Amino acid sequence: MEVADIISISKPSKFEDVDSDIEMSDGEEPRDNGIVTPGELVTDDPVWMKGHGTYFLKDNTYSSVAGNVSRVNRLLSVIPLRGKYQPETGDHVVGRITEVGNKRWKVDIGAKQDAVLMLGSVNLPGGVLRRKSESDELQMRNFLKEGDLLNAEVQTVFNNGSASLHTRSLKYGKLRNGIFLTVPSSLVIKSKNHSHDLPGDVSVILGVNGFVWLNKTNKSTSNSVVNNKLQSTIDSKGNYDPGKGSVSITRLEEESSWEIYSDKNDKISATVRDNITRYYNVIKALSHGELGITEQRINLGYQASLQFGNIGKLIEIESMENICQDIITNERMRGSM
Amino acid sequence: MQLSPAERDYLYDSLCLQTPIRPDARNLYQFRPLEAKTTFLPGSNGSARLRMVDGGECIVSIKSKVVKNESVNSLLECDIDIQGHRDDSNFVSNLKYNLTNLLTKNFPFDALRLTKKYSFKLFIDCIVISHTSYPLTIISLATYLALKTTRLPLLVSEIDDEEVEEQPTFSDDWEDSRLLHEITGQTFQPPIMITVGVIGKNLLFDPSLEEEQVLENGLIISFYNNKAITPISNMNLALNANKDNYKGIDQSLIISAINMVNKYCSAVIHALDTLIEQDDEVDGTIF
Repeated sequence: MEVADIISISKPSKFEDVDSDIEMSDGEEPRDNGIVTPGELVTDDPVWMKGHGTYFLKDNTYSSVAGNVSRVNRLLSVIPLRGKYQPETGDHVVGRITEVGNKRWKVDIGAKQDAVLMLGSVNLPGGVLRRKSESDELQMRNFLKEGDLLNAEVQTVFNNGSASLHTRSLKYGKLRNGIFLTVPSSLVIKSKNHSHDLPGDVSVILGVNGFVWLNKTNKSTSNSVVNNKLQSTIDSKGNYDPGKGSVSITRLEEESSWEIYSDKNDKISATVRDNITRYYNVIKALSHGELGITEQRINLGYQASLQFGNIGKLIEIESMENICQDIITNERMRGSM
Repeated sequence: MQLSPAERDYLYDSLCLQTPIRPDARNLYQFRPLEAKTTFLPGSNGSARLRMVDGGECIVSIKSKVVKNESVNSLLECDIDIQGHRDDSNFVSNLKYNLTNLLTKNFPFDALRLTKKYSFKLFIDCIVISHTSYPLTIISLATYLALKTTRLPLLVSEIDDEEVEEQPTFSDDWEDSRLLHEITGQTFQPPIMITVGVIGKNLLFDPSLEEEQVLENGLIISFYNNKAITPISNMNLALNANKDNYKGIDQSLIISAINMVNKYCSAVIHALDTLIEQDDEVDGTIF
């Protein structure tokens, strides 16, 4: 038995001295996409309008955060590299209920304030055409209670930056059959689709807020849109079945039973559980290497992780860096970088 | 920390399997990787900083003071400060008691005796900057590193000062200072404490925050001179859980936990010692 199998203790990694290739700007023209640090002069030209992440002193504009300079027309702002998630309408997020209140739930989505989820913005058992009644208000804890995880979409963002969510689609709702982890929200790249089916019977929901949910793929409500399209034309036996796979109103009614608020997990095999932990470690590795997290990278990382028979090895810093390196090399070769 | 019922069930079922699957796929006897640095506080006799991958971080500083033998009842004093917890809270006083109790019972006090009248008293100060899982393991590992690298100045006056009214004097040269084990001339391995989670029939080392939430019991086992020793205690490791699975513990599991500690923990000591050896050169990086 090697010591490294039990514990690894390393020295803190040394920062390599980076020769700065960026000259400190004299502030005539703000660099686009340049990285600035707090207190750094962005421009001394007063014609620029001061946006988020900047402050203004004696005709000079300074950055108040560490991040990228962005210019939109005459508006100058600095987008922070790290920081709390800022909700935007349409974001697919994962959140945890913190409070049950009057006709609403409070949801922790990792933003400055908790988001609200109104009772009117969820699907309740009994189908779409059902009215919310007083009895629904009384049994709100039977639908969602403190600690429950759900995925939802940001419906509106209020002036103070807090968000209102909705789960009025079959792909949203309570989460089961899996495990939760968080990554910095800046690493999740916004895309059209944030829920993916991965090889090995595992699905992932990459919340834009950096909350990630890994679970066993649900065969009946497959996450992936592509999958549905394929199914709608040809099913496994090669028979053509027009309605199948597409979301119809009738299915919405079938699905909107109490089932969607169940806390019971399905039976999950050890293989699937193993795969889930492998993806868990791959996503942790991506976040350690500060790589943007996309479906493709998770897949590449999964391939790279297969060289480690013992998945537990993946938590070591060295292996995480190896995986990130593999992904980058792979992307270079494919020319997608 | 709150988990949803589905998450709890998933974790519980995974950990209860015949071959348990931990959320990060660690082996039952595997610790999370650590980063550590020793001797970085210039004003201390010994210091260590330990960081865990999940963000837990602890700094330990050891300072010494010359005291008259009869004026003190213990030559060791521990103090623990945890970010976000009151100093007089149960949580902090339990940790403090655990550490003090362990060290006072297993420490070569001879190394601290200076003369017949005077001794060194060691002040061990631990600061936990952040922690997610129960912080005793990182506190005790950091204390190990700090004690191992503690240097005490060399006494130049007479050892026998029974008759003379003289205070001890020390060599001005810090190069002459000696490590604790150099003073006693024996190998010195400070005791450490290991947290072991109990779930179903399984035992797991160094449970993470999520794992702690579903554990049925937690054991704290001390380890000194290559074997598990007392104090051995059990406690609920899950803090602020909305619902816990806390249960009684099967006697046979205590035995197997001790066996497990005996089998694997010398590797922990080995890893800590290797780090100290490699950490000799001053490269100035502490983060």
